[in-house]
Amino acid sequence: MRFRLPKLLLGGYGLLVVGLPLAGLAYALLGSVGLAGPLAAGFTGRYWLALGHDPGLLYAALYSAGVALVAVGLSTGLALALVLGAQAALRRGPLLGLLYVPLLMPALVLAFYLFQLLSRSGWLSRLSYQAGLTSRLEAFPELVQDAAGVGIVLAHVLLTFPFLALLFQAIYQESRLDDYYQLTRTLGASAGQFRRRVALPLLLRRAAPTLLLSTVATLGAYDIPLLLGRPYPQMLSVYLTTRLQRFDLRELPAAYLAGFVVAGGLLVLLVPALRYTRRHAL
Amino acid sequence: MRSKLLVGTLAVLFGLPFLLLALLAVGEGWRFPAALPPAFSLAAVRSLLGSGNDLLAGLGRSLLLAGTVAVVATAGGFGLARAIARSAWARHWEVASYLPYALPPVLLAVLIQPFIIRLHLSGSVGGVLLGLLLVALPFATLLLRSFWTQQATEYEQLARTLGCTPGQALRQVLLPLAWPLLRTALFQTFLLAWFDFGLTNVLSVGKVRTLTVQVFAYVGEANAPLAAVASLLLLLPPALLLRLNRAALLRNTP
Repeated sequence: MRFRLPKLLLGGYGLLVVGLPLAGLAYALLGSVGLAGPLAAGFTGRYWLALGHDPGLLYAALYSAGVALVAVGLSTGLALALVLGAQAALRRGPLLGLLYVPLLMPALVLAFYLFQLLSRSGWLSRLSYQAGLTSRLEAFPELVQDAAGVGIVLAHVLLTFPFLALLFQAIYQESRLDDYYQLTRTLGASAGQFRRRVALPLLLRRAAPTLLLSTVATLGAYDIPLLLGRPYPQMLSVYLTTRLQRFDLRELPAAYLAGFVVAGGLLVLLVPALRYTRRHAL
Repeated sequence: MRSKLLVGTLAVLFGLPFLLLALLAVGEGWRFPAALPPAFSLAAVRSLLGSGNDLLAGLGRSLLLAGTVAVVATAGGFGLARAIARSAWARHWEVASYLPYALPPVLLAVLIQPFIIRLHLSGSVGGVLLGLLLVALPFATLLLRSFWTQQATEYEQLARTLGCTPGQALRQVLLPLAWPLLRTALFQTFLLAWFDFGLTNVLSVGKVRTLTVQVFAYVGEANAPLAAVASLLLLLPPALLLRLNRAALLRNTP
């Protein structure tokens, strides 16, 4: 019995974490060719053929990728600037503690807060009206539910930048970069050269798997774009759930197809990328 | 001077959400273009205790769900991490554990939804629990995998050599040694379930009204005071956890 228990445990675990998602992926594939789902009526390739004529999924994918890259890029830049530029302040005083505060925020709460702050009837708009900077509601710039996704990017930066700053700071200390700083200074390098040639590559390489997962998390974000995005263009998760929750069941195969393409695409992209970043992380 | 400016800027940036949410929760008849509420009222906060309001029930439901996910995922993850450490295919199991992270939670929920429906778990707490465990269990397993080193095994063997039963070795040697990691796993998996909205909303089709689902419903009804009260309630447990153990909040990826 004692010998069987770990095997049983691992078998159940494998069914849950590998079996269930892969079965879901297979069901989505079968659904997209008319072989599964409530209205399955036999094999058909028309949903796959129609994919080329429907730009919705491609736009959603490109829009999500753009938002994710900008948000994670900005967050990484801000976090690096803070860790490399304010190292002394991070080591003493309340700065490090402050960075933990946004980690308390569920994404949905942050989105609600930003909506109340940045919308045209929001707090900033009211303050600018009271200060005489704007004369009516429409004069305030569209910062949420905008086409460019400014609100979505801002929300993700607010959530991701403090987390990355804490991560970079932990790596900075674990890697004893202060000692390297003294060494490079002794060898004649400037502070800027130390940051560019020693600290930056080391921090980025060690944080690469987390940066990659953060990009995927932003790419697949749901709560924030649901509140701060607009019906078109939509981010991927919102696009998929909107299609799946339509009342017309005849739309389901196309929604299954979208789910399969997104999930398959992410797996094909992410698995080698994660393997590469983990192998090359110092 | 520069560091004080930086601290001040970040304090305003991160403190403003609490201020605005508090103002929304107690403000009455606060419409554009007023910069501050014309009147203050505790009606929304008081409605927490009212019989017609299910915010308190939502709080209880969220606490129960997140607590169950945390305990089951941590306990399961501890056992699974041990089994993986001793398995001949340890590396393969580790890679497999990353699969749920390769997909956004909502997409994962969309993919498994047909099976949740077939299991008659759609719209039930059980279905949401299964969905959350699908993400939380591999997270805890990967996090706790680092405990099961050669050294841990040697401690266990030493305890057994000195006369401990397997149960005693677990309770008196392994669990105290693993406690810092177990605590981190408990905190992290609790927060993972506590913060979740998308997966819960998709799998429960809006029927399991956790606090996050309620925030979204109140936002949809344009009921800003109740949405703000629910949001502030959502911030309470993480704030408490932050006070208890700051480091436990950081390890977001195993």
